[in-house]
Amino acid sequence: IQPPEKPLQAEEWNRLRESFQSPAVFEEVMFNSMIRCNSPIDVAKSLLTHVAKNNGDIAYNLLLKYLALCVQQGQTSEIHDVYEIMKIKFKILESGAYNLIIRGLSNSDQWRMALTLLEEVKKIMIPSRTNYECCIKAAGRHQEMNLAFELYHEMLTKDLVPTLDVLQAFFDFSRGMKGAKLQKELFGVLLYLRDNQIYPHKMFMRSIKLWFESIPGGNWRGQLTNIKDSGQCPVCNHQLEDSDLTEEEYDNLRERIIRDVIHGTDMFRKTSPQEFEAFQTFVENRLPFDIVIDGLNVSHIKPRKMQCENLFDAVNCLAKDNARLLVLGRKHMLINSSNWKREIMKEMQNKADFFFAENISEDDAFLLYATLRSGKHCKFVTRDFLRDHKACLSDSLTRHLFRKWQRGHQIEFSPSSKKMFLSVFIQQPAFRYDCVVQTTGDTWHIPYKDISEEKYSYRVPRKWLCIQQK
Amino acid sequence: MQSANVLLKKIVRSSVLPFAAQHGMKKDLFPLSRTLSLSLCLKQDNSCNPPKKLDLDAWKKVMKSGLQEEVSETVSECKELSTLAAARELLEMWRLAGRLVPENISDEQLKTFLECPSKSAKKKYLRYLHLKELYKKNDKRKMDEKRERRLESQEQASKTDENKRNSFICLWANCMDRAYSWRVAQSMIFGQPLIFDMSYEKDMSVREVANTVRQIVLSEGCNRRSVDPFHIHFCNFKDDSLYHKEFIKHYREAWGKLLITVTDQCYTDVFPKDKLIYLTADSPKVMKTFDHDKIYIVGSMVDRSIKTGVSLARAKRLGLETAALPLEKYLLWNTGAKNLTLDQMMQILLTLKDTGDWKKALEFVPKRKYCGFVSKPVRQLQKTLNLINTLKLGKRQEEVQKQFAKSYSRKLTQK
Repeated sequence: IQPPEKPLQAEEWNRLRESFQSPAVFEEVMFNSMIRCNSPIDVAKSLLTHVAKNNGDIAYNLLLKYLALCVQQGQTSEIHDVYEIMKIKFKILESGAYNLIIRGLSNSDQWRMALTLLEEVKKIMIPSRTNYECCIKAAGRHQEMNLAFELYHEMLTKDLVPTLDVLQAFFDFSRGMKGAKLQKELFGVLLYLRDNQIYPHKMFMRSIKLWFESIPGGNWRGQLTNIKDSGQCPVCNHQLEDSDLTEEEYDNLRERIIRDVIHGTDMFRKTSPQEFEAFQTFVENRLPFDIVIDGLNVSHIKPRKMQCENLFDAVNCLAKDNARLLVLGRKHMLINSSNWKREIMKEMQNKADFFFAENISEDDAFLLYATLRSGKHCKFVTRDFLRDHKACLSDSLTRHLFRKWQRGHQIEFSPSSKKMFLSVFIQQPAFRYDCVVQTTGDTWHIPYKDISEEKYSYRVPRKWLCIQQK
Repeated sequence: MQSANVLLKKIVRSSVLPFAAQHGMKKDLFPLSRTLSLSLCLKQDNSCNPPKKLDLDAWKKVMKSGLQEEVSETVSECKELSTLAAARELLEMWRLAGRLVPENISDEQLKTFLECPSKSAKKKYLRYLHLKELYKKNDKRKMDEKRERRLESQEQASKTDENKRNSFICLWANCMDRAYSWRVAQSMIFGQPLIFDMSYEKDMSVREVANTVRQIVLSEGCNRRSVDPFHIHFCNFKDDSLYHKEFIKHYREAWGKLLITVTDQCYTDVFPKDKLIYLTADSPKVMKTFDHDKIYIVGSMVDRSIKTGVSLARAKRLGLETAALPLEKYLLWNTGAKNLTLDQMMQILLTLKDTGDWKKALEFVPKRKYCGFVSKPVRQLQKTLNLINTLKLGKRQEEVQKQFAKSYSRKLTQK
């Protein structure tokens, strides 16, 4: 239904209500459409007055909707009044009302009131991240950066994930401001991006750049660039961090993979103890490998070709330079069939080591184990994203480590579309450098995502912001 | 500018002051005076023609009136709210705000609510309670209506009183029960065993265990009513486990009188290993026929979160043979997981035992999960299904149509 444009008299409301098919919910529906159409507030007031005179009371949900309308239009004094009334009428308020009031007040000059409301919310529950967002933005808008950062840290201790908007707001509001402490805090935000592998979007990147360039006496200059495959920044010739894990991280990751992915809740789900032991001794006797190949995955690259031929091509392609190869497969590959020819399999086994797991075992877990056991130089080949194995890892820190390691060590094959007949693969190499916010003190390198480019979670951005101090 | 302002002030004051004095107001109220004077004018206007102007803030007065006395009480109470009571208040407010929240909630439920680990978990739990309450209310209403109708019809019947005579005393339910019990008792001596593996408690949440038990109760009922029942075994059953508690909730006193075998032993200790077959949807082997000499094991597990391979792992550990139902072979699968509920499994196994007819047995698979029975070669049907799906999604329409035309013309020529 269309809300009226002008305030109505009681009789007119009555008439409207009677013409509506279900009069019981008339007010609710009317308020909803008022919010949708952003009707003038006087219209809403007249309806409230009508309801109040008829019933002597106004239901909480109607007040809430009226409040939403006020917040939508920034009617600060009305928000105040409604809050007063709610506080008198009800012992406590619920989260919806608090969200609205905090949002409404934080945008007005009475933003400090929003802070006291935030304290009130804390008494009954953990405030949402948008509550914090509103308060932080309000504080920032009024140049109270200390307060804003205090709230931000409080939010982090409560395990709330700040929105990119808040992080961006920090850079926007502290543009041109001086102070060593402030600078440290903002570097802290950048390191937060680094630790959580978050990539800022283009607008955010621009805010960062402008902030750096606005630091009085800082002499920072930012430039957009693409990093070379070698990992060198074309602007400042600085070599980016490589994607290798530290010794400690590497050991940690390996242990966690064995514990969480291979053993998990029940080792029999993915393999069996006998089989895993056999695999372990197999690997230990032949260490180290240079490339570990997921045989079954690779054999499906070109669907029209025989599976063992696909694998054969891949092995040939990788067998150059005396690389030591390990191919993981399943026992059914050894049985002569239309897809798996015994002669070809024999020939391949001369070029690479093969391990055949049981048909119902998961070979991916073996893939991870063999690669990690061989050492840092070892890479693995599969098109699988290994998401299910990543999900088995219990904490986010290890998952980040896993992602980083995966970026640096996974080689992907895809069939070249034009040369369908030639055995040529496009080999997507593992990254040599780590795609993450990084600093050396007088330079910062920040990867960012273009909004126009489609971004999948497994693909890392190729564009960078290089900032250096002159 | 300033002089004009002063002038205005003077004029306004002179016209307002007497009015303000009337209402007992003091000076220094200049900011207010202008609106006051305006409303004065309006009032005069209104007095001429019938009241037309709306007082938009009237609702505030209504809301504030009559509340002042209560305030002092509520404030003092507010401070003494315990966490439980505070949560109750919060729920009440949510209910007023129109969220899906139950009207009545017990302290125990409130505690569970507070223990929920996240906001969404809380929301889900409340929604669940709300729906439960709603169903209960509806049931009660229906029962009341039914009772009223029955009373009415009885009244009518008593008016037209006629003595009906019958050679049997009406004791149907009782007789049937006895007959069923007789059959199940027979099967406990001579019948084929069927095992429910009750060792999945730690893999499930409390709600999942409750669901499992409910499904087992249903399957036990089916078994009891069948012509040739199984001899049901509950293996790995621990006393005082969650399963046990839930069973007692369902059966009450009847739990001790059930005609089933309950043991805390593993099935491998009770039966020879080579006779056991573990039924699991993850099994690579597909069941071809129902074997009357084998002993089938069904895992008593409901997994709402997807945990694949749990029962397969168990069978692997014990070195047992496994099998899956030939769903793919007989049904054109559409959506949904291949794991069926325990009562559906029971129905299927019972039908297989009686008739050996797969088609009849697989009627018990929920209809939403499959499109139809396979009569033609599976591959061809799969093709049509893919076709339907692509047509539905509107992807690559031309290509699909071309393909369809081709296959259709081929069919025609074949005929």
